[in-house]
Amino acid sequence: MKINTRPARHRALRAVAARAAGAVAVLWGAATLAFFALALIPGDPVTIMLGPFTTAPQSIRDQIAADNGLDKPLFERYLAYLGRLAQGDMGESYQLQKSVAAVIGEALGPTVELALAAVVIAIVLAIVSAVLTAGREGRLRGFVTSWELVAVSLPPHWLGILLLTAFSFQLPIFPVVGVGGPSALVLPALTLALPIIGVLAQVLREGLEAALAQPFAVTARARGLSRRQVRVRHALRHAAVPLATLSGWLAGTLLGGAVIVEAVFGRPGLGALALQSATNKDMPVLIGIVLVSALTFVVISALIDAFQLLVDPRVRT
Amino acid sequence: MIFSRPVATAAVLVAALLLGGCSSGDDPAAGPSGGTPVQGGEVVFAVDTEPVSFDVHVSQQDITGTILRNLFDSLVHQDGEGKFHPWLAESWEVADDLKSYTFKLRKDVKFTDGTPFDAEAVKVNFDRIADPATKSQLAATLLGPYAGTEVVDAHTAKVTFKESFAPFLQAASTAYLGFYSPKTIKENGDKLAAGGATGVSTGPFVFSGYTKGQSAEFTKNPDYAWAPKDAANSGAAYLDKLTIRFLPEASVRVGSLTSGQIQVAAAVPPQDAQTISGNASLTLDAKDSPGSNFSLFLNTSKAPLNDEKVRKAIQIGINIDAGVKNLYFGQYKRAWTLLSPSTAGYNKALENTWPYDEAAANKLLDEAGWTSRDGEGYRTKDGKRLTVNWPLLPAQFVRDKRDILGQGFQADLKKIGIEADRPQDDIGTYIANVYGGKADIADYSWGRAEPDVLWLLLNGASDPRKGGQNATFLNDPQLTEWTNTGRSTLDEAVRNDVYGKAQQRAIDLAIVVPIYTPTAVTGRAKAVNGLAYDGNAWPVFQGAWLAK
Repeated sequence: MKINTRPARHRALRAVAARAAGAVAVLWGAATLAFFALALIPGDPVTIMLGPFTTAPQSIRDQIAADNGLDKPLFERYLAYLGRLAQGDMGESYQLQKSVAAVIGEALGPTVELALAAVVIAIVLAIVSAVLTAGREGRLRGFVTSWELVAVSLPPHWLGILLLTAFSFQLPIFPVVGVGGPSALVLPALTLALPIIGVLAQVLREGLEAALAQPFAVTARARGLSRRQVRVRHALRHAAVPLATLSGWLAGTLLGGAVIVEAVFGRPGLGALALQSATNKDMPVLIGIVLVSALTFVVISALIDAFQLLVDPRVRT
Repeated sequence: MIFSRPVATAAVLVAALLLGGCSSGDDPAAGPSGGTPVQGGEVVFAVDTEPVSFDVHVSQQDITGTILRNLFDSLVHQDGEGKFHPWLAESWEVADDLKSYTFKLRKDVKFTDGTPFDAEAVKVNFDRIADPATKSQLAATLLGPYAGTEVVDAHTAKVTFKESFAPFLQAASTAYLGFYSPKTIKENGDKLAAGGATGVSTGPFVFSGYTKGQSAEFTKNPDYAWAPKDAANSGAAYLDKLTIRFLPEASVRVGSLTSGQIQVAAAVPPQDAQTISGNASLTLDAKDSPGSNFSLFLNTSKAPLNDEKVRKAIQIGINIDAGVKNLYFGQYKRAWTLLSPSTAGYNKALENTWPYDEAAANKLLDEAGWTSRDGEGYRTKDGKRLTVNWPLLPAQFVRDKRDILGQGFQADLKKIGIEADRPQDDIGTYIANVYGGKADIADYSWGRAEPDVLWLLLNGASDPRKGGQNATFLNDPQLTEWTNTGRSTLDEAVRNDVYGKAQQRAIDLAIVVPIYTPTAVTGRAKAVNGLAYDGNAWPVFQGAWLAK
């Protein structure tokens, strides 16, 4: 083990500064990529925004272009956008007459609520299913693993409609129309969580089995711990570490899944907003959503690193 | 085959739909069917699209007009037959040259913020629409060659135009030319797109709340007493509350309706019609949308469709009856002319005049010189295959499964030796090809309760390269003259004559292939009575009430 010479606080500050610099770089990269990717769509941006079935005359098109700076060269627009972004201004939506920050701010809450609910459901159910079946043969394991495969493979769009049909239309347990309230959150959260449970449980089970095969598991049993205690107290902690590597995938799945779940359930949120702004070519809002997604990713990675420090003494040099 | 369905099922469906369609009166003036109206209650109306902008003067979306119709009144009211009735204007006079319209306004109308509705309000609103800074995508077009509004006295407004403008009455009857309170225009003019309480108008409901991505809430305007002259309910709405719920997924809308979670569902897809008509507590209202039918527009400006014989072969060489009947379960009517049957000037004489005839189509193609066939069975001339480029819209713009409908026609065309190439690109490429005249076939419908829609689709000046919608790319002197005449007269006989002739000529020249009449199919709980449909086939909740 290395011996520390510098004070720990100093070291932590440096680490935080490096993280922050990394985050800014990621955000800049995301904004740039999104900006140019959207600019690559062929055709005049105002024409694309209005769509094919319009009678808007040229004077209106010119006005829209001028008001949104679309009459300027691409690179000039990019620099102006970055300049505003540096001051924390994500610009104004093309059509909603609201600042992008306000539009995204309104949408963020419902999506965070949905994503958190889904993550909690997913983690709890994945742990239960992995702990119950790891290292064991039998009918339960066969059923659980094949169910996981089905859950991962089902298109979430279809899964959502299936759940709605069963638990809202046939058995009136959960409302689709109910606004707010926990009961309206159950089905969307479950739709988002089920494929995640499938993946998490498989990874967890593999990690658990690897941990149970380690000598320490035998030692712990020899000290008199029950099988369950070994699983829950020791092996699970080992198995949780590989999960951290899935954080990026998880963030992506949650955001991507939100687009579909919010559309199916008619819920407000970032996903619904992304879909609408993509359809209407509302570039500032789209780039804003990309930025928020990138920021989420950065934050989740930081949290997972902290989590790793917590569960795995080996990374705490 | 993708279309094959038991004929018996289709027949049962047709019968069920006909019954469903009959159960509500076509005439909005017809009284509610189920006894004395009940006060109070809430109705949830689920729609398939969420408006991008709630500023009725800016938006070009149908959905904005559909929803906001319940908040906005118009100067005049157009009924299901296309006739105009007094609304906010008690009476009106049209100048002989059709360059000015003078409206005598009702004196008792108030905006829901207390501001009186008067000639000044008309002027403020119309001027706002015409101002390029408003960036109006549709309302400004509806105002046409608007010159200005003169406040003759407090309750007389004279709207003038730079040239004769016959379609103005119909335009003035739409929600897009509705009136915001001048006070809210002054204070919130740059925020109206965002929806919510700033959208102050005169209508039967007040815009009380909006959650983006979820719902809009309208509450009753208790002071409302200025319904259209022909409305069944002349006073305030019976319902306390109307919630518009945005449910883009059709099966979710239908499921919510069948499970009683909502009371009215818009855009019920044909395959779900039976679920609703088979349910004792639900019913279907099917209304032909006015305007142009969904049609193919054949690009006459380039080979191979510059040859009338080839165009004619396409017109009679695709089996429209079968395609429309199978895909839409008999719910949508097959079309015979550009105008939909519920539009004034509809040329009924064209019905059944150009039936499917594969043999005749083959003969026409032979005559056109496409006589040899290549290895895949397509016709060739001088070694070139007979191919038509018919781009598909990107998926998010495809309505009514028109992509699948097109697959059937593609197969029909193959039978007569024509290859239909259907690339699906991004919207920018689509617009560049179709509106730049590079594609051979374009397909669309155009909703508007006014035969002037034919000007947009057939007039030589409506060139898609310059913002028009005439994708036939034909500047036919007669079509141009007739559609010009139609928009410069209010003489019904003259209009019927020129629009009838224009429809006939478009078919004769085989520049269009009308396919089906877009139909607004609304599912509703039978407990919802008195729901009326305006000239656009949009539901109006002012007279709706909920049976106990």
